[in-house]
Amino acid sequence: MAATTDGTAEQTDMSGPAPAPRRRGMGRIAMAVSVFGELLITAGLILGLFVVYSLWWTNVLADRKADQQGDKVRDTWTQKDTGPGALDTREGIGFLHVPAMKNGEVLVEKGTSSKILNDGVAGYYTDPVKSALPTSGKKGNFSLAAHRDGHGAKFHNIDKLKKGDPIVFETKDKWYVYKVYAVLPETSKYNVKVLSAVPKESGKKKAGHYITLTTCTPVFTSRYRYVVWGELVRVDAVNNERTPPKELSS
Amino acid sequence: MYSFIWRHLPGNAWVKALISLVLVVGVVYVLFQYVFPWAEPLLPFNDVTVDNQ
Repeated sequence: MAATTDGTAEQTDMSGPAPAPRRRGMGRIAMAVSVFGELLITAGLILGLFVVYSLWWTNVLADRKADQQGDKVRDTWTQKDTGPGALDTREGIGFLHVPAMKNGEVLVEKGTSSKILNDGVAGYYTDPVKSALPTSGKKGNFSLAAHRDGHGAKFHNIDKLKKGDPIVFETKDKWYVYKVYAVLPETSKYNVKVLSAVPKESGKKKAGHYITLTTCTPVFTSRYRYVVWGELVRVDAVNNERTPPKELSS
Repeated sequence: MYSFIWRHLPGNAWVKALISLVLVVGVVYVLFQYVFPWAEPLLPFNDVTVDNQ
């Protein structure tokens, strides 16, 4: 804008008509360039804000939501008579404790749609391969998914899990203690075989009580999937104090 | 662009600064509340499941 005021000032001073239009033309170009530059800066700021949104704000929202829902589940557990067969799977069926991930407890709900997972919970698969719930007591694969980054990032530290690490699933009256026996650090997102009742890629041939954790990898992207398999070691009954199994206390 | 907005805001420099701040906060709010939640599922950063699609 300084250019045009300069131009008019010079025009009155020198009364030369020739330089004025050229100056004004330069001003137009300069203005177009500056608007373009400002748009680029704005775009950069918006992208920066998007990073803040996805890596921080979604965690804030998801953790808040997960805490609310978790409290609700614990409340219904403490109520004595919920009636026979009144397991409400919509609110969450239990909590996942993975000490190696250092993320406290993760509420487990039904389904793996982004609407469910965005609440900062782990979801058990209903599609494409239906997950077998440990509470059913039947042999099968308890397959779960959760976010690696943003929306609670509940499986962010999945790469810290090694063979032999415990995965504990807590329900109203049982502790299901699993041990990691296989890790697949990178696989295609179309590899639904990892969810099979007998996940052959993990080296198992016979039916058993398995657990499968899936999330995306490498961090911050969704190019591949990271898979961790565990096998049920034992089932503990929950006592009155809800004393956690020794895998969680150490 | 920004100088154009600045010149068209009413009041003295302090009032202009205050209005600008309110505008910035408003834009950030709209982005966080509406634009980013809409854009996020369209971007390939947060698909965690294995599926057939």
